[in-house]
Amino acid sequence: MAPTAAWPSFWQRGDQEVSLARLYVMRAVGLLGIYGLLPMVARLVDHSPTERGMLIAMVSGLWVMAFFVIRYPLKLVPLFLFEIIWKLLWLIFFGLPQWWTGVGSPRLGEDLWSIGAFPLVCALVIPWGYVWRHYVKAPGDRWR
Amino acid sequence: MASITATPDETSPIGTVSLVRLYILRAMYLVLVIGLGAMIVPEILSHEPASRGVIASLLGAVWLLAFVGLRYPLEMLPLLLFEFAWKLIWMAFYGLPQWLSGQRPPTFAEDSFNIAFGAVLLVIIPWGYVWRHYVKRPGARWS
Repeated sequence: MAPTAAWPSFWQRGDQEVSLARLYVMRAVGLLGIYGLLPMVARLVDHSPTERGMLIAMVSGLWVMAFFVIRYPLKLVPLFLFEIIWKLLWLIFFGLPQWWTGVGSPRLGEDLWSIGAFPLVCALVIPWGYVWRHYVKAPGDRWR
Repeated sequence: MASITATPDETSPIGTVSLVRLYILRAMYLVLVIGLGAMIVPEILSHEPASRGVIASLLGAVWLLAFVGLRYPLEMLPLLLFEFAWKLIWMAFYGLPQWLSGQRPPTFAEDSFNIAFGAVLLVIIPWGYVWRHYVKRPGARWS
């Protein structure tokens, strides 16, 4: 098959898994994550001696994984799914109830913006067709 | 699944792992489903009204995706790699220094026990497969 037919255009998937545009959007989000999480990652080397560190360590883990997104955006779809799921969980069980009742953590306002806005972004970035084909429709790995 | 890919790309299969490894991976996901679930689900469903909830939500997402891992252990490897990465980072920058200095937060004993358990990932993750799929293989197309 001629290359032009295999890659019809920037915007269309053609016979590829996702469009080139989608790959670039996913990479851009990866880059944004690398840049945006940097101030939190920097706290790894600058924190109080008795800080718990769970949150910073988890964010730093995500930061490391974001580098893989640049090269393998589709293999790292589970990372995008992870992002949308944890943020939705937070919105449903913490952010929104606290916002409605007016009883929230001191950081609620900041968190509502930095966490609450992102499920929408993730929802737009994630290639749902790919997710459907690879994580629902595809036969699971073998059992015997 | 019929391949819809005309040219080899980042999603085409290159080698696999043994059946034993698949079961070991599934066992790990099952441990997450049961062990992490027992810990985190009650915390998400019933918590202090003003609890910040970020850590609980992050762990809740690991728990939910572990179900997907039972069916697709290899596709969900990024989840285990993330688990391994953050636990290693915690050990290097918090756990070990705090243990050595004796200056520890009140949560240290519980956290260090749970996080040190992540060391099993070192033998569970198929590193050869990770190397072939997430380092050596050509990345997704750029043009």
